[in-house]
Amino acid sequence: MGLIKSKLRIFSLSLVALLVITSSGLVFGAWYLKRLENTVTEKFEGRKWAFPSKIYSDSYLLYVGVGIRLEDLAEKLRRLGYFESLAEPRAKGEYRIAKSDNLIEIYLHDFDFPTERFKGVPVRISFQGTVVTRIENVATGKEMFSLELDPELMTGLYERIWQERKVVKLTEVPPLVVKAILAVEDERFYSHHGIDPIGILRALWVNLRSMSFQQGGSTLTQQLMKNFFLTDERTISRKIPEAVMALIAERKYSKETILENYLNEIYLGQRGSQGIFGVWEASQFYFSKPLADLTVGEAALLAGLIRAPNRVSPYRSAEAATRRRNVVLGKLLDDRIITRRQYDAALREKLPQRALVKVTNDAPFYVDYLRRELEENYSNAELTKEGLRIFSSLDLNMQRMAERALVEGLKKLEAAHPALRRKGDDSLEGAIVVLRPQTGEIKAMVGGRNYSKSQFNRVFQAKRQPGSVFKPFVYLAALMFGGQSGVRYTPETIINDSQFTWSYDGQDWQPSNYNNEYFGAVTLRRALENSLNSATGRVAQDVGIRRVREIAHRLGIQSPLPAVPSLALGAAEVTPLEVAVAFSTLANGGVRPRPLAVRNVVDQSMQLLEKRDVRSQQVISPQLAYMMNELLKGVLDRGTAAMARRWGFTRPAAGKTGTTNDYKDAWFVGYTPDLLAVVWVGFDGQSKLGLSGAEAALPIWTEFMKNATANMPVTDFVAPAPIPDTDDGVPSKCGPTLPDGGAGTNPCPPAAVQTRSTSDAL
Amino acid sequence: MRCKSVAPAMVPGRRLNYVLATTIVLALGACEPPRVYRMPVPPSNNTILGPRVPQTPAPIPPSPPAEVARKPLPQETKIREQDLKSRAPSANSPVRETKEPTRQSSINENRATPESTVAPAPAPPPPPLPDDSSLLAKITPGISPQRAASLRLTDEGSKLLDAGELGKALTRLEKTIVIDSSNAYGYFYLAKAQYRLGRYQQSLNFLDVAESRLSGEPFWLAEVHALRGENYRALGQGQKAESSYLQALRLNSGNHTAADALIRLQAETQPVNK
Repeated sequence: MGLIKSKLRIFSLSLVALLVITSSGLVFGAWYLKRLENTVTEKFEGRKWAFPSKIYSDSYLLYVGVGIRLEDLAEKLRRLGYFESLAEPRAKGEYRIAKSDNLIEIYLHDFDFPTERFKGVPVRISFQGTVVTRIENVATGKEMFSLELDPELMTGLYERIWQERKVVKLTEVPPLVVKAILAVEDERFYSHHGIDPIGILRALWVNLRSMSFQQGGSTLTQQLMKNFFLTDERTISRKIPEAVMALIAERKYSKETILENYLNEIYLGQRGSQGIFGVWEASQFYFSKPLADLTVGEAALLAGLIRAPNRVSPYRSAEAATRRRNVVLGKLLDDRIITRRQYDAALREKLPQRALVKVTNDAPFYVDYLRRELEENYSNAELTKEGLRIFSSLDLNMQRMAERALVEGLKKLEAAHPALRRKGDDSLEGAIVVLRPQTGEIKAMVGGRNYSKSQFNRVFQAKRQPGSVFKPFVYLAALMFGGQSGVRYTPETIINDSQFTWSYDGQDWQPSNYNNEYFGAVTLRRALENSLNSATGRVAQDVGIRRVREIAHRLGIQSPLPAVPSLALGAAEVTPLEVAVAFSTLANGGVRPRPLAVRNVVDQSMQLLEKRDVRSQQVISPQLAYMMNELLKGVLDRGTAAMARRWGFTRPAAGKTGTTNDYKDAWFVGYTPDLLAVVWVGFDGQSKLGLSGAEAALPIWTEFMKNATANMPVTDFVAPAPIPDTDDGVPSKCGPTLPDGGAGTNPCPPAAVQTRSTSDAL
Repeated sequence: MRCKSVAPAMVPGRRLNYVLATTIVLALGACEPPRVYRMPVPPSNNTILGPRVPQTPAPIPPSPPAEVARKPLPQETKIREQDLKSRAPSANSPVRETKEPTRQSSINENRATPESTVAPAPAPPPPPLPDDSSLLAKITPGISPQRAASLRLTDEGSKLLDAGELGKALTRLEKTIVIDSSNAYGYFYLAKAQYRLGRYQQSLNFLDVAESRLSGEPFWLAEVHALRGENYRALGQGQKAESSYLQALRLNSGNHTAADALIRLQAETQPVNK
């Protein structure tokens, strides 16, 4: 009896335990199912995809008379995704070079510029040597005088990975493309409810027969769940939730909804850092055409790419792509989706071997700078998810030239001066920034020699002493304001270049010349050309440091400047970007530009969110600017930068070398009327460089400018119009439209004006 | 001497506006002698030049002739157009303290001498300048390709401005100064675009640049001054606006913008002057 009782007891306990376990399992199962359902619902009904923003370079304006080599234009087209054709271009995105006729034919892309939508047309561009002589619209026969090529895609702003896609509705996808994809990936899509047992069994059979993984049994819905939520591992632990989610999705949503999401979600290739997702993007990427224009063969290839987009990509191997396409065509024929005639015609379509142009960030320092500007107005979420299109001022050609010049230039310096070769974090560094003076556009920016090693952008983050680069501000102040002694400075004013002491605030300052060599009575011109410290100090003392500071601020230096005598020789800290802006003011006839990187920001619906215009301000008279430019031309023609001429840079240009007293910084700023570049060389850790601006920075500048200006017309600084008198005798360039300036003073104070009225120099 | 403006009665018709405007210009002309332009000394030339300064002040001229039958304008008796060298400020008008001798000294010496007893009749207004607004007409054989392209783009930009497509116009016009930074017209139209966008200070900035790059083109200089006047008027600076309009009309009496604007401006200020 006791035994029976104990057995009964064990049995009851087991039942209870089973009940508890089953209940727990059911509760857990229900909870898990609910969780999966919520996940699926959130994804389908919420925000499915993040759209990275895209950053574009400046567009290129081609016009009759512009200098460009035919080969360079072809290279530019290739980078823009155009394909070379042997026959006359018949589809958008093709071009043909007729070298014997010295012309190039292009069927231009459609492109959405910030302020207009451009529809591609076929054009013919004729050359004479390296000059464009004619641009013709082939379709209409009309001559065009200019043509804007689309900007290059530089990079994207994204989180983790760059998924490039454009969402399309199911109705926008041609039926043939849909049928081809279903035929290859899930032929029983409309029959099953999320998982396909028959498909699983068939795949199992095929794989067992071949003893390898030949087929997957996943449905299209399962693939979508995998891409939406899960990793790529092929394990039971991943397969189960995938299957359950597929069932849930099929229960909640229509086949059309699932199919539409699939067509927009699938991964279909890689272009450098940019992943290609969705059929629309793939159509553009592989065929440069919209979905509606795909041929039977192209639709078949698109469907065939899904399984292994990079392995059978036509960019990798036209033969592999053709083989895969033909397999799909056979399936389409078997399933009677296409006719025999269509099948035969599609087999004859030739897939050209195309070179992939990867999207690689060739200007990471510039992009960082751009991003900083953008973050003033846009959140990180907006920048990485809203699909903005950002048009910048960058010239990618110049950017590449600038980077090459800097990197090669630093290597050459290390080779010539082995003591400069350092290991670790304190290696020789440099920076180069290029501006267009007329507009302030930043055309190139290289903030260091190796971005992957150091992202510190020395163009706008590094504050260094400019040394002699500061001297032009002293002489400009002298020419503008005159001396406190009553001297009216002109380029021919005689200055005493000899040792002297400037006492201030109980201290003495004694500037010394290079090699302690003094030249006695020299003209102002010569003192500037040869960068004489002592002469400069004397002028600064006479003019007053306050005036020198005012001029520097007026021209564009924004950093605080100490009111000490040594400021005359550049004892302050400024960035290369500030120096570039200040000298751009001189290059631009006394008009200070605003540095521009971001030009336009457009959202996904082509709405212009932001347009940054050229802003400029006349801050010194054009006559004074012209005079300074003439003086600074002497620096290159006869002065401390004369070696640039011997190295092959022969254009009219002005500039200034800069070397700090302790030889820690080497600078050169130089410009033509159309282009300005600033180069800095030194060590981040403030180690001694031991080289002057002419030795370290000038060679890099010369190399860059020779390449950058190779096809530009030769221009010189233009003498400005004569100065009119205003009603009260004040030259009009000192009128009320001029700003107060950084120091809050009138740019043409009455005292200076009165003395100036006795001199026609200004 | 600061010359106050006069406010004629409003009359219909553009032609009459010109006549009135030019009459006003003449009436005020005595206070606003033509500008003397000075060339900057080339760097190698150390010569210091000065303005022509008279050694003795001129005597006060007699009253104006009686044959002027129309109702004299309020400030007329104070203005001596023909005898600018001997012009004397009125007791009631504000006088600029320091510059009279200098300005008088720079006047054309062929004008009537202080000894003449009868002031001659006002000279007829100079005829309007021929229309020089066509940019495409400036594309002549021998012009550089950059200038030609820049002018064509400027022309395109101006048409886009007229069509109200400001964004496109700005984009085009910014390219013009990239291709040819000496293209003053590009700067002028950039100024116009900024004016239309309500960015008056930036418009003024561009006008300064345009003016500095224009040389010997009174038609376009008049346009610059007229647009400058529009900007000042928009900024509420009536006096500067008026001064700019007058300058425009001095350069080109046919400048519609300045003529119309001056009439409007003076009509606005007329109740105050009454």
